[in-house]
Amino acid sequence: MRHVVFLLPALLLLLALPYTRGRYNDDFDDGEDNAEFDDNDFAEFEDVSEDPAVDVEKEPPPRAAPSSTPIEDDDEDEATVENEDGQDEFEDADAQDQDMYSKYDNEEFEGYEKSNPSFKDTLIYREVPAHLQNSWESYYMEILMVTGLLAYIMNYIIGKNKNSRLAQAWFNSHRELLESNFALVGDDGTSKEATSTGKLNQENEHIYNLWCSGRVCCEGMLIQLKFLKRQDLLNVLARMMRPACDQVQVKVTLNDEDMDTFVFAVGSRKAMARLQKEMQDLCEFCGDKPKSGAKYGIPESLTILSEMGEVTDGVMDNKMVHYLTSHADKIESIHFSDQFSGPKVMQEEGQPLKLPETKKTLLFTFNVPGMGNTSPKDMDSLLPLMNMVIYSIDKVKKLRLNREGKQKADKNRSRVEENFLKQTHNQRQEAAQTRREEKKRAEKERIMNEEDPDRQRRLEEAAQRREQKKLEKKQMKMKQIKVKAM
Amino acid sequence: FCSTKENDSINSQPPNTETNPTLEDPTPDYMNLLGMVFSMCGLMLKLKWCAWIAVYCSFISFANSRSSEDTKQMMSSFMLSISAVVMSYLQNPQPMSPPW
Repeated sequence: MRHVVFLLPALLLLLALPYTRGRYNDDFDDGEDNAEFDDNDFAEFEDVSEDPAVDVEKEPPPRAAPSSTPIEDDDEDEATVENEDGQDEFEDADAQDQDMYSKYDNEEFEGYEKSNPSFKDTLIYREVPAHLQNSWESYYMEILMVTGLLAYIMNYIIGKNKNSRLAQAWFNSHRELLESNFALVGDDGTSKEATSTGKLNQENEHIYNLWCSGRVCCEGMLIQLKFLKRQDLLNVLARMMRPACDQVQVKVTLNDEDMDTFVFAVGSRKAMARLQKEMQDLCEFCGDKPKSGAKYGIPESLTILSEMGEVTDGVMDNKMVHYLTSHADKIESIHFSDQFSGPKVMQEEGQPLKLPETKKTLLFTFNVPGMGNTSPKDMDSLLPLMNMVIYSIDKVKKLRLNREGKQKADKNRSRVEENFLKQTHNQRQEAAQTRREEKKRAEKERIMNEEDPDRQRRLEEAAQRREQKKLEKKQMKMKQIKVKAM
Repeated sequence: FCSTKENDSINSQPPNTETNPTLEDPTPDYMNLLGMVFSMCGLMLKLKWCAWIAVYCSFISFANSRSSEDTKQMMSSFMLSISAVVMSYLQNPQPMSPPW
């Protein structure tokens, strides 16, 4: 009788447990528990064969849990959170019913031990999902990512500023020279009329342009400051493996009367090898291997590509040799050409049907000293190179080939043109044929579309007459050729 | 006589540099495309690491972009990648697990 009296409050307290221990129900192997749950809270105790066993099993775990927590600690200790939560709810009842429970243990469930090893089999402590753990440490990957992004942004700002300072330093040291030689310094091309802006045009965070014009010997000069991509962290890391340096590229376009016909290049060995493969004009006109510069008094590290010996002799005067010798480390390549058309165009399905447009150009590529670790002061050392550029412009204007040289040069150019025409002959024929067919088709369509039958007839007749004329012309031509052949 | 400047031989800059940048450096375009692909993957497949890589791609694309390029394109790719990250976390607030 007294057992029943104590049993009732215990059962009432048990009602509170499922809310906090719902998860344990899931973890037990008896899947049918879940299936049989009604709204009735006692449903879990109904119709289950091991009813009392289940009862007692579920009950003691929370009680046993505090004592078994140290034992289970090496298992997932996060699980104890759940246990403790459940514990709070019936701590009071616990003390009261301690005796009763122990009686339960002894009477109802024989062989049950407090630290029941079978518990370990049936009770699985699940890890608390990390986002409920309330600790930032579990988000360490995200923190890493955000740190990486911050580092990237920092590097972007620092790199951008460095490049900007370098560009400004270069411009400050060269401004005077440029302004004394050119009427227009700095034109960003936005306004219709060329106005001198007097400052660099920033194309990128690492490329700055400057257009100068208004000098007697040349059409214009485009200076490109091609710095390293200091603003991109990936690039900075790549450069740690493969060092590179900032470059200054100067492209002077000349008027037709300002330059005689020749192709010439001098520069570092690697650069010459690369240019000979890449550049259309060097490939066609300077077929020989690059010659060492030692013959002309310049350092071994520089090699020369030239259309003919006379050109080299003409370009390599004392002053030029002096410039090249004293600044050999900063010179990547110097390229003078009257047939400059840029790098070789990739051959697509059909070769280009006409020769690429050429322009008389002087191209200079200089390396900024410092191999990436440049400071604004290094920009001053490029000033003599700009002097060399100006000197070259004047020199090229004065340089004229003698008669033999001129003949050779003209022969070369006509040879190149012939080759090109031969190669494209077939394509041009096909293109002409297709054009003719297109015209005929268009005509026929026009005739068809004419609503008026009269006009249609007239147009047809006109077309026929034209065809006839063409045929006659052709026959005449054939006859003429035959006569000539005879 | 060539060392004097002449005002009447001034020419404005030929606009030929517009074609060259695209040929010389395709990085910003590739990165833009990659960024969009990764953010779509991250959104559709609910992969957090995809979304984070998309954010990185859009940053790299921005850093390498030319000044003539459309800022709207940059911003839209950036916003897409941020939204991919946010959506992945809203759907599944668990922290990212490292692949090892």
